Amino acid sequence: MKKPKLVYTTFIRSTPKKTWDAISKPEFTRRYWGGMANVSDWKKGSKWEHHNPENEVWITGKVVESIPAKRLVLTWADPDDLKDKSRVTFEIEPMQDMVCLTVTHDRFQAGSKMVGKVSWGWPRVLSSLKTFLETGKGLNIFCRG
Amino acid sequence: MQKTTFSYVTYIRSTPEKLWQALTTPGFNRQFFFGATQESAWKQGAAWRLMIPDGRVADSGEILEIDPPRRLVLKWRNEFMPELRAEGYSRMTLKIEKHGASVKLAILHEMDKPGSKLIEAVSEGWPPILSSLKSLLETGESLEETRRWPEGT
Repeated sequence: MKKPKLVYTTFIRSTPKKTWDAISKPEFTRRYWGGMANVSDWKKGSKWEHHNPENEVWITGKVVESIPAKRLVLTWADPDDLKDKSRVTFEIEPMQDMVCLTVTHDRFQAGSKMVGKVSWGWPRVLSSLKTFLETGKGLNIFCRG
Repeated sequence: MQKTTFSYVTYIRSTPEKLWQALTTPGFNRQFFFGATQESAWKQGAAWRLMIPDGRVADSGEILEIDPPRRLVLKWRNEFMPELRAEGYSRMTLKIEKHGASVKLAILHEMDKPGSKLIEAVSEGWPPILSSLKSLLETGESLEETRRWPEGT
């Protein structure tokens, strides 16, 4: 069977710098990512963590590549299940008055529980990110029904 | 049989009714569909066409299912690129669900054969079109790039 690979592309009326900041700065992520924060100094080799609103660590990993406003590659794992590690790549490309943001989530372990969770989550998070950058207010992404 | 599929989900701060209207009204279509507009009576069994601004037909087919403002299933064949046209009909399913104060829009485009070039082409087309539709509904302005048919195609 083919290994799972999630790719989501969205076009946002924004700049690469603003898009980068919206992904990497907690004061922004909290406003569109269901109150969550991405915490790191975003240097290659550094640790990064995804915190819930109570500052508990939900996801943890390393920064594999970091070119501000352009490309960010992270490893991604639940802190309670570190063996179920995968990889996330953010690519930001400027195009006229907008950016093309592509998020690729791949290198899942065999039988990974993460695939289902993130295929549910990425369209919500990235839709809300676009809304946040274009209108100043994110979507209520984790609501049911 | 092995299929080729493309799926895309987006959440839009809007209502199912407004989203349906934007998807099925030419005045809205041309703002986010690269200037193209759809022609149809929007009834089950009716013909469906996507028209390029210069008058050529981009794609054509038939409405297999329609349930405004929730569900639309189209039989869909490319008409302007011989290699894609030769693949015959694909199927495009569009679903709209209320999601809190937003709507969830899900597109599934399928071809009953492996390695479909049509699905490869629509995989490039749907993300900018749906991104632009979302901008249009949320901000009143679609994305500039998607208001004109790409030159030379």
